[in-house]
Amino acid sequence: MSAVIPYHRVNVLTGIKSARLIEDAQEYADLIKKARRPLLVLGPLLLKWSLDGKLLIEYALEIAKAANIPTCATAQVRAKMAELGIKPDSFYDVVEIINALKDPNWRGVRKEGNHDLVLFFGIRSDLGEQGLSVLKHFAPHLKTMTLCKFYFPNANYSLPNFRKDEQWKAFLESLIDNLKKGE
Amino acid sequence: MAEVKEMTRKLEEIHKKIKAEIPWEPVGPTPMPEIPDLRNWDMRLLKTYAPFYAPFCDLCCFCTYGKCDLTETRRGACGIDIATQQARWVLLSCLMGCSAHAAHGGHILEFLIERYGPDKKIDLGGSINIEAPHIRTVVGLKPETLGDLVIAIEYVFKEITHLLDSTAMGQEGSYLDYESKALHAGMLDHVGMEVADIAQIVGFNYPTSVADTPLIDLGWAAVDKSKPVILFVGHNPATSTVVIDYLRENNLYDQVEVCGVCCTALETSRYSDRAKVVGPFSRQLFFIRSGIADVIMTDEQCIRTDMPIEASKAGSSLIATLDKAMYGLEDASEMDTEDIVRQMVEDKKHFAILDPRKAAEVAAKVAIVIAPQRRKEWLTEGEAKELATKCNVCGMCEQVCPNLFNIGAGIAEVAKGNFDLIREQFNLCVGCGKCEAECPRKIPIFKIMQIAASKESWKVRAGRGPIMDTEIRTVGAPITLGTIPGVVAIVGCSNFPDIRDIAEMVDEFAKRKYIVVVSGCSAMVAGMWKDADGKTVYEKYPPAFDMGGVVNVGSCVANSHITGAAIKIANIFAALPLRGNYEVMADYVLNRVGAVGVAWGAYSQKAASIATGCNRLGIPVILGPHSSKYRRLYLSRKEEDDWRVMDARKREIVDTGEPSPEHLAYVCETKEKAMVMIPKLCIRKNDTPQGRAIKLNHYISLHKKYMGGGLPEDIHLFVRRDPDIPLVYKKEVRAYLQEIGWKPKEPVGLPTLIGTYPSKVSVDAVIH
Repeated sequence: MSAVIPYHRVNVLTGIKSARLIEDAQEYADLIKKARRPLLVLGPLLLKWSLDGKLLIEYALEIAKAANIPTCATAQVRAKMAELGIKPDSFYDVVEIINALKDPNWRGVRKEGNHDLVLFFGIRSDLGEQGLSVLKHFAPHLKTMTLCKFYFPNANYSLPNFRKDEQWKAFLESLIDNLKKGE
Repeated sequence: MAEVKEMTRKLEEIHKKIKAEIPWEPVGPTPMPEIPDLRNWDMRLLKTYAPFYAPFCDLCCFCTYGKCDLTETRRGACGIDIATQQARWVLLSCLMGCSAHAAHGGHILEFLIERYGPDKKIDLGGSINIEAPHIRTVVGLKPETLGDLVIAIEYVFKEITHLLDSTAMGQEGSYLDYESKALHAGMLDHVGMEVADIAQIVGFNYPTSVADTPLIDLGWAAVDKSKPVILFVGHNPATSTVVIDYLRENNLYDQVEVCGVCCTALETSRYSDRAKVVGPFSRQLFFIRSGIADVIMTDEQCIRTDMPIEASKAGSSLIATLDKAMYGLEDASEMDTEDIVRQMVEDKKHFAILDPRKAAEVAAKVAIVIAPQRRKEWLTEGEAKELATKCNVCGMCEQVCPNLFNIGAGIAEVAKGNFDLIREQFNLCVGCGKCEAECPRKIPIFKIMQIAASKESWKVRAGRGPIMDTEIRTVGAPITLGTIPGVVAIVGCSNFPDIRDIAEMVDEFAKRKYIVVVSGCSAMVAGMWKDADGKTVYEKYPPAFDMGGVVNVGSCVANSHITGAAIKIANIFAALPLRGNYEVMADYVLNRVGAVGVAWGAYSQKAASIATGCNRLGIPVILGPHSSKYRRLYLSRKEEDDWRVMDARKREIVDTGEPSPEHLAYVCETKEKAMVMIPKLCIRKNDTPQGRAIKLNHYISLHKKYMGGGLPEDIHLFVRRDPDIPLVYKKEVRAYLQEIGWKPKEPVGLPTLIGTYPSKVSVDAVIH
């Protein structure tokens, strides 16, 4: 397979190890279910982006609920979550949570041990890609996964560059359904 | 024995250079420090603020063994690992930045010494006695003449060579040592910047020892395009000042419009308050493509590398005035002036002219001849709509945008006659032009965006250079006690997520009675906003270095005056000797001066270097989201890190558990998060209860404003005893502290890191 070029060209990979591209929501759901201590990191774009009038933060919270994934609210995400009456499991800004995740001895947001799968959703793609690079190089003890509509080469698992928002919406809905099946 | 002799000889040489026999202060332990001399200080900083590396590239391609893949535990053919490779990049970036400023300073010195001789006195006015806090602290020299500044800049040049040497293949093998070297480069940068700006102030008679400098017209609508227009681009005012002299001497200044983009604009407006500031670096290509400039004169730094192509496209004439960027143009420095003018007018040729006087004469003559022949009109909405109809919303433009926004959507709206989106997007545009280059239909996106550019003009206060000693005496106590909640330096380049963020940050913190200091491109865009009364932040707030003041120090090189002010607080207010005494100064600033830098749009290597210099001096820096591409931050892990300090009064090491300042180099994704981090990073262990309560009041209220109610989850780490809790939040904070089982702790009387790591400096040295 030829290399996948990320949608935002500033994120083009200069290296060898790149993300496995996954389009099948079932496969994503299986990976999430298999994880013992996953974490969902919520970025501020979730408050800006919507699909058919539904804010992405709502999809994110449905994913967290369906798979009982603890959340980490970055930037001003906590403000919106407070509005929605939901308290995140932790508050760190993106570089802080990544810095903590780097440490294999960190106890994680539920104090049960560091996370083995970290899902990133709603972080601007250049900062997100840099954060994923940190974990790719310095956190071999965990895997990373992205839920944004772009390909992130530095993740372990990434969605493709969805050409249409409908494809992304269908993926997220299917992911939520698949996660619910295991409840 | 031989080693001791060598050290003595070296020290003797240093003492000779810095005129140690002049006893203005005793010479401290590290005059003219070399790479190892402050290494222990660096290692102490790096213990708490560990480097956080975000590799931008997984490979090393520096030598012919490569490319080497450094992912996971792999090492390159030379043995280097990924962390050390990132640290090497950081050092290289800092060296590029440091060299740019130092070479600028070196050039200005040469230019001015040629004009005035080396004995020209340094006189910064009646309110500034500590004229060069960095040179005094780092070099150990009190510069009295331009010739003395040469001693300082030669020291910087020498150290740069050693540092650059360490980046060659098969040299340094520790990321921590590369970081120490990067911190060294950053420190040198502030010396180089200080040399440059002092020389400029002295040589060009810039305002000094005055706060209320003139308000300068700002924005491209401020430029009178009915006149011949000369545009300066870059940072070095050697030529722009000569152009103004030429226009004045020949009674042409009323007939010719002089303006600038980026720092030369700020420099030129310090020389003549009639010069206009077009805007920051991000507006360079827009303005050039508008064709309003008849003659473009480039000097150095932050100039487009495709300037001859762009100038030709716009029908403007180009003169490259410095050897740093000659673009392959013919060097006309020795040619006959009239011949150059003829070739520029008739043959549309561009030239490099390194003789400022000749460049000035040519620029004026060419501008006056060609201006009447050129069309200089803004695009109309009708014309924009027509050009935009070719867009088929393919999305190629969005894919190459460094600020990740979809300009194609804005263009498509223009085609429908709706200009709202593109006006909004103009605030996000960083001005690189990659969208237009990528467009398969060759739509002139930048031209279309002319309709989005505000035709309003604003004001920016002319750069005033150093903070006055008299001001330091007034604010020294309240800053170190915490009753002035902090000094917020909003500085640097224009790679902003949104250009409007800057004025909002300035307004927010000036309103809260912080001291707000600005420089460079950030100083310009701070002025590009008006309140309901039509006032910019420069008209709304006083220009004093005092609570609630907004101070523009000047261009990039004037950043040295901001860090210099921190040193002056230690020296003037706390009466600590600074001569060759860097560790004591930095330790004082880290523990007692609540200052934070905000480089929200940092893009260049210069910004990396300036920020790293701030870090070595103990000043934390907040960076915008793009700056994750600098590859390295300095982060702590909150209470998990080492927050032990020496209480110098009790002579005992105290584990404060208080993460202040929490980080040294930090990236925020959004303005909202930055608004909350700024007050937090102004907290210092030296705060009095009253000062701490004021600082926490801002931290909590900004957290509530931007993070949606509730208390900051780490507030307990910053409350030492009940009096630290701000009155207005007393009940809420007490309840929270009780809930989590918080225990009070004693504030540290005189906090210092000296005594907690191996150092030649004794604890006595920090007691004033």
